Amino acid sequence: MSDTGVVLTDIRKSFGNLEVIHGIDLTITEGSFVVFVGPSGCGKSTLLRMIAGLEEVTDGEIEIKGRNVTDLDPSDRGIAMVFQSYALYPHMSVRENMAFGLKMARLPEPEIDSRVKAASAILKIDPLLDRRPGQLSGGQRQRVAIGRAIVRKPDVFLFDEPLSNLDAELRVSMRIEIARLHRELGNTMIYVTHDQTEAMTLADMIVVLRDGRVEQTGSPREIYENPANTFVAGFIGSPRMNLLNAEWTGDGSIRIGNSRIAVQIDDNRMAPGGKLTLGVRPEHMNVVVDTEGTLRAKVDFYEYLGGTQFLYCQLEDGQAVTAEYRSSVPVEAGDILHFRWQADDLRFFDAAGLRLKGAC
Amino acid sequence: MTGTGSKALLPRRKRRRRSGWRGFLYIAPAMALVILFFVMPVIFTGWMSLHNWPLMGGTRWIGFNNYVRMFHDARFMSALRFTAYYTVIVTIAIFAVAFPLAIFVEKQRRFVSAYRTIIFLPVVIGLATASLLWVWLANVDSGFIGPALKALGWVDKSPNLLATFDSAFLTIIIMVVWKIAGFTMIILLTGLQAIPADLTEAARIDGAGRWQRFRHVTLPLMRKTIALALIISVTGSILAFDQFYIMTSGGPQNRMISVVYYIFNQSFVSFNLGYGAALSIALLAILVAISIVQLWLLRVGEERP
Ligand SMILES: Nc1ncnc2c1ncn2[C@@H]1O[C@H](COP(=O)(O)OP(=O)(O)OP(=O)(O)O)[C@@H](O)[C@H]1O
Ligand SMILES: [Mg+2]
Repeated sequence: MSDTGVVLTDIRKSFGNLEVIHGIDLTITEGSFVVFVGPSGCGKSTLLRMIAGLEEVTDGEIEIKGRNVTDLDPSDRGIAMVFQSYALYPHMSVRENMAFGLKMARLPEPEIDSRVKAASAILKIDPLLDRRPGQLSGGQRQRVAIGRAIVRKPDVFLFDEPLSNLDAELRVSMRIEIARLHRELGNTMIYVTHDQTEAMTLADMIVVLRDGRVEQTGSPREIYENPANTFVAGFIGSPRMNLLNAEWTGDGSIRIGNSRIAVQIDDNRMAPGGKLTLGVRPEHMNVVVDTEGTLRAKVDFYEYLGGTQFLYCQLEDGQAVTAEYRSSVPVEAGDILHFRWQADDLRFFDAAGLRLKGAC
Repeated sequence: MTGTGSKALLPRRKRRRRSGWRGFLYIAPAMALVILFFVMPVIFTGWMSLHNWPLMGGTRWIGFNNYVRMFHDARFMSALRFTAYYTVIVTIAIFAVAFPLAIFVEKQRRFVSAYRTIIFLPVVIGLATASLLWVWLANVDSGFIGPALKALGWVDKSPNLLATFDSAFLTIIIMVVWKIAGFTMIILLTGLQAIPADLTEAARIDGAGRWQRFRHVTLPLMRKTIALALIISVTGSILAFDQFYIMTSGGPQNRMISVVYYIFNQSFVSFNLGYGAALSIALLAILVAISIVQLWLLRVGEERP
């Protein structure tokens, strides 16, 4: 049909009577790096496994490189998968692990050899080829698992939380490695993770899932700067975006607790007295000295991170807000601070949590 | 395991003596039982085997004569041959049935625990009881199998299953498989379940079909489990007695005398207790040899995930 990498059309999945994926449409351009994020149990793995062919779809269609693969075996889909547990064959050497799929495909011996050599050179695992997985460290095992995927020369790489069994330092270096791999190989990659940093740094496109539905798709910047709803706004970013309950007064300002703050909202859905949610990221909360038209909050506690500090504060009406604080003037718990922000850093959401347009 | 154990002991050298005694105390009851019911009988049997030891009358020291006699005993040799033949056939039969069953009940499907229970049920019946049950089942007139075959029209006359060697042997093999396969199935099932699902899925993505996955992933990873099941089956079969004694009384033309049956005959029918003891020691040696093979089988392939 088209040259697009992966196209999902109205994908549904039920386990027994329980539907866990409720109709997902998604187009993934060839060569892009797509990351599925979402809270635990939202169906990321299930969606990935359906693309892999390890899980049957209940309804819908999967297309890879213009080919309908919905009913094909995993091995015929042109995919390779890297598992969280690595899933290396413990009784085979690294070399045999990588060659296994090629042997099954009955490739000639010299071809298998050269592919294994090439992949192990890319991943710098040549010295490990004759070891068993049990004799490798976690990071090395993950490299082998990626190597096993590379030798298949797949159209699409699938990763299910590949780094979550590694320690923090290794995770960073493997993340960079995977990004490099994507640049060098140029294949489509679909990557499932819990980790926001992984999602933000690796992705060309992030797909935010919740309860088996797509909440938003877009580049990391789009998702971060223009979240479509309060769920996405609160899920992406760490510390999370402040979502404050506010009331639209109708005369060009909102009320948060006792504070009245002037804002502009053009959305005609808002009526005076209507409830709305104000979203503002911690890094956009600026501490100011004047008190007029600002948000007043008491510091509960703070985290000192060296380059920056996070202040965890409480408004007078009890709502919690987090602010990033870069000034060298020390702050103590119990201090009362006044915050202000740039108008275009504010995001507004209606009572249902959907983004309000034309507001600033 | 041993590495950390010895490290932990180092700083505690002083207490070693005392804890050594305490450790001995803990195993003392078990040791007492083993000595009372295994070591002493074996020693006594060994002692008996060096004598001409009739049931009544005096015993006489004859050195290794019983063992020499054994090697010229044609009936013992044929008992050995028959036992080996039976062991090979029944083990193959048990595995041929138990392995597919294990694979069948491993998958999550409806009523799977019911299947497991039903297949396992015969295991809890004693072998002698099962033998008696099957004597009845195999009875020409009042049994089940023969009359059923006749009723189905597959045979003209209800066959006497236990009358010829082949049909009796077949009946016993089927009975033992029915009785034992459930147990082997459970052992194999635990081995199957210990293989992570990820591995099978990785193999599916690598393009391995059902048989190839079994051959290249499942089988190698089940090596230890299979070794265990194999040893249990082989030792059990070498010690076979009840089924031949109860179902065929040694079989048509005495061709179904197993080693244990022969030992029983020598000891308690002919009352050559000394000779029977020597045969028992020989059988023990054979079983020890097989256990050594087992330990060797368990040692290799320690690359379990
Ligand atoms: N084999 C299964 N049988 C029944 N329900 C299942 C099965 N696999 C997954 N589910 C359900 O489907 C939903 C989605 O599961 P999935 O594993 O895709 O979540 P996830 O987003 O990958 O979560 P996590 O981040 O914890 O890995 C969950 O509610 C889970 O309980
Ligand atoms: Mg998952």
